[in-house]
Amino acid sequence: MKHEAPNIDWAGLSPVIALLGGAIVVLLAGLLRSRLVRERAVPFLAIVAFGASLGLGIWQWGEDAQVFIAKGSQATLAFDELTLMVTFIVAVAGIATVLLSWRALAPREAAHGEFYALLLTSAAGMVAMAGAQNLVTLFLGLELLSVPLYVLCATEMRRERSLESGLKYLIIGSTGSAVFLYGLALIYGATGGTDLREIATGAAGEAGGDVLLLTGIGLTIVGLGFKASVAPFHQWTPDGYEGAPTPVTAFMAVATKAAAFGAMLRLLDVGLIDAQPDWAPLLAILATITIVVGNVGALGQSSLKRLLAWSSVAQAGYLLAGVVVASSLGVSATVFYLAVYTMMNLAAFAVIVARERETPWGDDIASVAGIGVSRPALAWPLTISMLSLAGLPATAGFIGKFYLIDAAVDGGYTWLGIVIVIGSMISLAYYLRVVAAMWMRAEVAAVSATAQPRLAGADPEAERPQWELYLVAIAAGAATIFFGVIPSPLFDLATAAGRSLGLL
Amino acid sequence: MLRTYLPAIVFVGLGTLVGAIFTMMNSWFGPKRKRTPTTFKQDPYECGLPSEVQQGFRFGISFYLIAMLFILFDIEVVFLYPVAVQLRAFGTFALIETIVFIALLVVAFVYVWRRGALEWR
Repeated sequence: MKHEAPNIDWAGLSPVIALLGGAIVVLLAGLLRSRLVRERAVPFLAIVAFGASLGLGIWQWGEDAQVFIAKGSQATLAFDELTLMVTFIVAVAGIATVLLSWRALAPREAAHGEFYALLLTSAAGMVAMAGAQNLVTLFLGLELLSVPLYVLCATEMRRERSLESGLKYLIIGSTGSAVFLYGLALIYGATGGTDLREIATGAAGEAGGDVLLLTGIGLTIVGLGFKASVAPFHQWTPDGYEGAPTPVTAFMAVATKAAAFGAMLRLLDVGLIDAQPDWAPLLAILATITIVVGNVGALGQSSLKRLLAWSSVAQAGYLLAGVVVASSLGVSATVFYLAVYTMMNLAAFAVIVARERETPWGDDIASVAGIGVSRPALAWPLTISMLSLAGLPATAGFIGKFYLIDAAVDGGYTWLGIVIVIGSMISLAYYLRVVAAMWMRAEVAAVSATAQPRLAGADPEAERPQWELYLVAIAAGAATIFFGVIPSPLFDLATAAGRSLGLL
Repeated sequence: MLRTYLPAIVFVGLGTLVGAIFTMMNSWFGPKRKRTPTTFKQDPYECGLPSEVQQGFRFGISFYLIAMLFILFDIEVVFLYPVAVQLRAFGTFALIETIVFIALLVVAFVYVWRRGALEWR
């Protein structure tokens, strides 16, 4: 029997190839003896790989490349505007993460080559997951994303919390993967296809009554909910975020969420679009629970990383609103908010990393107390980030939330829009607490540092201000303001991503 | 709308119930004898032979490392056999794919070698 080679669009695949090729180069470069190569060239190569992926993604914009077409079947991976938007988000988050971990403890303990190679591999998994047109590719992407992240969480090997975070994420993530896989199997059983378009045709007649399909959809949403930290599957988030090295937390928070929501949009809004009347109410209820749980959970936190973890749960709830409505507007709103979320979170995490190294307070809220006076270059990005996360006007977060509420109202879920507004109101309580600590409290004297054990993040070598952290913080903060005032460039990209799924 | 989930709920409920019943059935209907855990019953099963492994037995971590590496490379080489047998049917595409695959294996090998995982410690 003669087999025909599948048709592979190499140009379309190039953003992923750049990431994976970069991972191999970085891994091998990390083996070299020279300290200079390991500590300087390896992170630089990782940035080059992320940059190449970003550039190739821009080059492929509008091409709508369908890669891996075997004879007689559909493409398994599509690089349409949605995938490329996720690629951009992941690449930007990746570059920021490399800059944040440039002088961090984690890559030094886990060896530089491995650390950055794992980061690049995980990013490739995220792109594959967002672009998957096939359930098998989707699962492959999910695992390629998750497995390196489990390891990355535990890279500060001598700190117990880091190991705890890695182990918790591994166990809960595996549970999520198993549930997700079971759901995919049931969807396949109900519709007779692993391809999204086959599923769409298979589900068209079945919707509403098929138990197998409904169970499959339910389990799949649960599985993706684990990754996107949607309540009630969010329990790992605060511990995982707090324990992981802060640069890794930043990457996990923004990039994983982008990939999970990319996959959710594609699976629900393309493959299972005809079952929308069935899953939409369920998802809307999940969104409500997530918003309430996330915002209430954040209220009592004194650790900034835990606070941001709970806030990321709440933000996942807002994002779900865009998925629920299953409209082109909803997809655009979700993608827009994901991009905005990336900027504001990166600004916040860059400041946390900087203060972790400058003070003995770790990521406690005391570490940013009074920095409005002593370090305005860090205080402003964090202030902008907090106000934007809360959704105050003139920041990108406001436009993003406005857009999501617009989509929710347009899709007949006005009450969900109201829930978002109420959630944002609650969230002001804890975001403003951070702002108040920065501008209205005096800096906590470092004299008492002797009483406080020096945390693993604080490093005597890295006491002086570090330009790369300021660069990330200021650039992300500036972008948050820029897209809050002039949202149209990002708006156009998000609209193109929204149209790419072929919804109304 | 939500009524469509009724069968799913029944499905889950029935699954739990049936599972629970089957687990419990043994203790309900099985012969009830006083449980006397003898030393034989508590021994780890070793194919009928008396267990010789001491509890405090230690072995070098290198065994574990080498065994894991062996499994990794072993499984990857297994993938080469079907391609080798069917290479004519698959054509050049498969050949190129195999070369890429082997190149990646070599990268893994170089990594393992340079990291010193193959040295016996």
